[in-house]
Amino acid sequence: MSLMKRFRYQFMKDLGASLIMHLSRHTRRSHARKPNPHFGPSLKNTRRLKQIMARHYFLSRYAEGAKPVAWVTSGAPVELLRAFDFYTFYPENHGALCGAQKVGPQICSVAEEYGYHRDLCSYARIDLGACFSGITPVGKLPKPDLLFASNNICQTVVYWYKVLAYHWNIPLIIFDTPYNFEKITEKEISYMVSQFKEMIPTLEEISGKEFDYERFLSIIRSAREASITWGKVLGTMKARPAPMTIFDAFGHLAPIVSLRGLPVALRYYQSLLLELEDRVEKGVGAIANEQRRLMWDNIAIWYKVRELSDIFARHGMNFVTATYTNAWVETVAQLDTDYPFESMAKAYSLVILNDNLNYRLELMERLIKEYQVDGLVIHSARSCKPYSVGQYDLKQLLRKRLGIPSVIIEADITDSRVYSEEQTRTRLEAFFEAMEH
Amino acid sequence: MEYFLGIDVGSSTTKAVILNSRGEVVGYSIVQTEANSTEAAERALERALFQSNMEPETIKSSVATGYGRISVPFADKKITEITCHGLGAFHLYPGTGTVIDLGGQDSKVIRLGSGGKVIDFNMNDKCAAGTGRFLEVMAARLKIPLDELGDLSLGAQQEIQISSVCTVFAESEVVSLVAQNYSKQDIIRGLHTAIVNRMWSLIKSIGIHGGVTMTGGVAKNKGVVLLLEERLGQPVNLYDEPQIVGALGAALLARREA
Amino acid sequence: MKELVTRREYLIEQKKKKGRKVFGVFPAQYPKEILWAMNVLPVEIWDPPLTITHASEHLQPYICSVASLGLELIMQGKCELLDGFLFPHTCDSIQNLASIVHDYLGTQKPCYFFHHPTASATASARAFYREQLTGLIARLEEQLGPLDKSALEERVQQGQRIVRVLSELYDLRARGELDASNVEFYKIIRSGEYLHPDDFLPLLEDFLSSARGSGSSGKGVVLSGILPNPLEMLALLDELGVRVVQDDLLCCGRRLPASARSAHDPLQALTDSYFVMPPCTTKNSPMHARVNELLYKTEQSNARGVIFYIVKFCEPELFDVPQVSGELKRRGLATLVIDCEVNQNLTGQMVTRVEAFAEMIS
Repeated sequence: MSLMKRFRYQFMKDLGASLIMHLSRHTRRSHARKPNPHFGPSLKNTRRLKQIMARHYFLSRYAEGAKPVAWVTSGAPVELLRAFDFYTFYPENHGALCGAQKVGPQICSVAEEYGYHRDLCSYARIDLGACFSGITPVGKLPKPDLLFASNNICQTVVYWYKVLAYHWNIPLIIFDTPYNFEKITEKEISYMVSQFKEMIPTLEEISGKEFDYERFLSIIRSAREASITWGKVLGTMKARPAPMTIFDAFGHLAPIVSLRGLPVALRYYQSLLLELEDRVEKGVGAIANEQRRLMWDNIAIWYKVRELSDIFARHGMNFVTATYTNAWVETVAQLDTDYPFESMAKAYSLVILNDNLNYRLELMERLIKEYQVDGLVIHSARSCKPYSVGQYDLKQLLRKRLGIPSVIIEADITDSRVYSEEQTRTRLEAFFEAMEH
Repeated sequence: MEYFLGIDVGSSTTKAVILNSRGEVVGYSIVQTEANSTEAAERALERALFQSNMEPETIKSSVATGYGRISVPFADKKITEITCHGLGAFHLYPGTGTVIDLGGQDSKVIRLGSGGKVIDFNMNDKCAAGTGRFLEVMAARLKIPLDELGDLSLGAQQEIQISSVCTVFAESEVVSLVAQNYSKQDIIRGLHTAIVNRMWSLIKSIGIHGGVTMTGGVAKNKGVVLLLEERLGQPVNLYDEPQIVGALGAALLARREA
Repeated sequence: MKELVTRREYLIEQKKKKGRKVFGVFPAQYPKEILWAMNVLPVEIWDPPLTITHASEHLQPYICSVASLGLELIMQGKCELLDGFLFPHTCDSIQNLASIVHDYLGTQKPCYFFHHPTASATASARAFYREQLTGLIARLEEQLGPLDKSALEERVQQGQRIVRVLSELYDLRARGELDASNVEFYKIIRSGEYLHPDDFLPLLEDFLSSARGSGSSGKGVVLSGILPNPLEMLALLDELGVRVVQDDLLCCGRRLPASARSAHDPLQALTDSYFVMPPCTTKNSPMHARVNELLYKTEQSNARGVIFYIVKFCEPELFDVPQVSGELKRRGLATLVIDCEVNQNLTGQMVTRVEAFAEMIS
């Protein structure tokens, strides 16, 4: 770490970032969109969200050499890293951003030129493409000192991070979470807890800091609070009409994923919750005419979020819940400062993608009942095998057990080259007809 | 003086080259393969003999290559088009380190070591985009003879992006571009750019080493050649008859193995 | 070479005459010795010769053919003979396939799951592996009755003998002293996927003594990937005079421990053995370990190059290939990457690539 760089980072954090936020306010005004009649008023907190994330990416340009930098998977127990003051970067979040900005295919192609097959996860291809070429819409990615991956969300992240580890010749810490084929066992929990203990010396070495247990506990508390608050945020969508749409929630997800454990995440959700509770009280809906309430399964189709949101809103349909956004609610809320390591092991092992499909079925049934869902849209994402394998069965079972109509959209999270406008349009038309009855 | 024969049976065209012991081309031919590879090989041979005023008995030995090489019963040996293109290109341009072949239905990039020996290669043989077939389809759609595409593209005024990766979808895109009144020159240049882009990952996977020689029918298209040279940042070697380089390599191997 | 009876006939015989239970086991790493000791015959499901007609109701088209064919086998009712399934945690597709079979398919057959650790060989990983072994035993005992400790010792030792014979066969082959075609070699080795060790060991020993010889002088290659399928690929290499002299295949070379372990306690021996298996993508072995392993294998066998023979959609392999093959190329080795579906007929294009590769290494 260089003193000069640390100073510069601190300067940017305190001063430079607010300058950026100020500038972004200007550009936002000049690009203000016409209000869409199918939607209710946009959330005021959305602007704040953009500032927070812009600031985060802005600071990432100065983190290299100023703080120990870690690239982290979305399901990894980042709370441990925060105790060592790592600056964290989330390639999956960056991938989603690239997808939303429609540069997915361009950056994926770079990875493909390096020999990475088109059938591989597009988050990985974007990340590798960005690393190899430096092309990114966020300006500059901070070179990591450490890679931190957990296979709770999928095995692919580890295959991908191994490539990064070899490319930069830096350490990769893998948090291995045994799949919950049946119920989680004590032995599995103790395996995971042992892994945490084994990680600490490496984390101390790379960060140059000793493990600060008290700091760790306060981060656990903050993460837990943020997760509970996020849960309440999502819970406001039980109201009729729902004050937010899941498509909005996909964006508001960013802090709980990539800034979890930091005070800004908790503060943000507290603010968002107030705004949403206010809307519920006043009966303000996210869409102008909420006739039907839907659930979304799998990660978003990032390059089609706005378009799809619009199509459904025009049909009076609002997405009020999703398995994806729910992922950071139930488990992280179980974090317990009395048993920090055990509760972390459980929280990170019991995520939806690390559990058998029966568990997913039960969760979806519960969400359907609690949020009064009339229909289900299933995104069969080519990149995401753990999420997608089993969806055909879930569709049939939910139909049988709850009479819920659903539609499967075959697409991908960020690679728009596999998206078929024709196929999607045809399937959605059939779905809208089914929902009209 | 002895004579050697190389036959390259491709899926679109079949080529025959007759070489003498000094390695000079004394005759060659290019015929359409059509439905039967064996017949095509026989026709190509007949034509090449006719052109060089020779009798079949004077051929000492022959090598068949290409997609239909197993269907050439009279060949003494069968060797893949990768090895043959490599050797042929090296024979014509001894500084060649990389061969870029854009054929009728496949494309390949070959890395050569000393003596024109292949040390690495990669092929696109699963998809028409990036091959001559792509241009054939588009030329037909634009109602322009294939051999005029090159010259026309030189008159392009602006860049057009053909976004479809698939030949079938690209064709629809071309139709819509024509309907939007884009000039044929501009569209053709856009198609050439699409081909070069398709080739680029293949090229990247092998890397550019030493001199670059282009072979295959698409090399006759000066528009594509210029774009490729621009992208590579270096000129490419181009034989007058780029399609026969494979058959030439086969004939050289026939000479070597005899 | 004695003609092997068909797999189905063999399984029926094992059940009727030997009174054994038969379990269908999905790829790849699992403690066979425990099943043997409980009088269970593990039958591995890698590439059943079927056309996919039913599996597509459950699995998307971007799921690999190993997973799809395995599910197809069950759905076509060809697993009626089996008394249970075992799913090692090999990859995401097999993970979710296990849940589909166990939770949704209604097979009524007991399903067991084996999770081998996929981080480095730390103390926690070792302890966990051992715990997985005891956990598996405890669950099996519920279905099959108590495990006889001495039976386990015996089977672990038998397993070690098999490892020794296999290692010798691999060494002979690497030195060019084995008189067997690629096709013959893999037919024999792969029969271990369903033969009981009481039958597999003598078959191997037989092969070892009869095939010891001068071998052929063809150029050698290392085959890297998941499994040597289709058989036509091996036959093509034989035709071209190319010998497979070593392999880095998940179903073969990657399950051959570097040395037979001889801890007295059978569970310790099994645990030690797992941690000396060659590096593998399904265990998240670091890239440099894989590179070094392939460099070692090519050197030891004097191979001219490596054919990366990948099953389409196989993520673990496809992520490793660019860096591993790139490093090998930099060291002057010839490399070829082919991807194909399991049981696919060789296309003209694949044949051309392999032939060109053979010409390249000559």
